Amino acid sequence: MKPIDAEQARDHLELVDRILAESQQRLCAGGEFFVVWGLFSAIVTVLSHLIGAGLAPAATAWVLPPLLAAAVAFSIVRGRRLRELRGRESLVQREFFNVLWLTLGLAVVANVGIYRIFSGVASAAIWSFSEAIVLLYIGMHGNRRAQIAGVLVVVSMVVANFVAPQNAAYVLAAGMLLGYCGFGLAELLARD
Amino acid sequence: MDELLLSKIRLGIIAELLTARWIAFSEMQRALGVSQGNLGAHLAKLVEAGYVDEEKSFVKRRPQTRYQLTERGRSAFSEHVTQLQSLLKVRTPS
Repeated sequence: MKPIDAEQARDHLELVDRILAESQQRLCAGGEFFVVWGLFSAIVTVLSHLIGAGLAPAATAWVLPPLLAAAVAFSIVRGRRLRELRGRESLVQREFFNVLWLTLGLAVVANVGIYRIFSGVASAAIWSFSEAIVLLYIGMHGNRRAQIAGVLVVVSMVVANFVAPQNAAYVLAAGMLLGYCGFGLAELLARD
Repeated sequence: MDELLLSKIRLGIIAELLTARWIAFSEMQRALGVSQGNLGAHLAKLVEAGYVDEEKSFVKRRPQTRYQLTERGRSAFSEHVTQLQSLLKVRTPS
C-alpha cells in the first residue's frame, strides 16, 4: 500500500470525526423505563400521601406491591429484549443503565426496608433524589433533554420544601411526571 | 503508520466500534453503507489482526454476528489517529 498524503490524512480524520459525532446522536437512554418508573414513583407518592392524610382507605396500599412487581417485571423483560434486539450497544448506554438500576434499586430499598426513617414525604423525596441523579448523570453526557428534566426534578424538590406540607407530595409527584416521565416520552419520540 | 488502518472502510469500522460495546454486522453495514461482502472481508482482516472480537449467536432463531473493539484495536486506532494528525501538522504550513 502506498504511503498516505496530507489530503488523505485529512479525509480520514474527517471520516472519524463524522462517525463519532453520529454515534453520539444515536445514543438513546431507553425512554420506556423512565416512563414506567416515573409513573410508578408518582403513584406511590400520591397514594402514600392520600393514605397518610386519611383521604384514602389504608387498604389502598395493597395496590402498591403488585404495581412494584409489574414495574420490576417490565424492566427485566424489556431490558433483556432490548439487549437481544439492539444492533448497537454503546458503552455510555451501559453506564446509563447501571446508574438507572443502582439508584432505582436503592430507592426501592429505602421505601420498602427503611420506611421508619424515610417516612411520609421523605420517602417520596428519595424517589425524586434518585431520579434527579439518573437524569443529571445522563445530562452530563450531553443529553440536553436529560439536563432540563433533571433540573425540573431538583426544582420540584426545592419547591416541595417550601409549599404547605399537605401539598408537598403533589409537587414531588408533578416533578416525577414532568421530569422523569417527560424525559422518557421525549426519548421515545426522539428514537422513533 | 498502521497499514491495516489505511483503508477508509477499516478505519470507519474501528471508529464505529469505538463508542460501542457490541455492534451487529447488519447495524455496521447500515452505518457504513457498504456491501455485505466488502464489509465481511474488511472485518475478517481486523479480526485476524486481533483488533476486533467476533461473536456469533442466534437472536429470535436468526443467526447474528456482532463485533467489539479489542484493547489492541483501540490502541492501534489511537496511535494511527495521532500519526494522521502529526502528518497534517508537518505538511500544513502554519
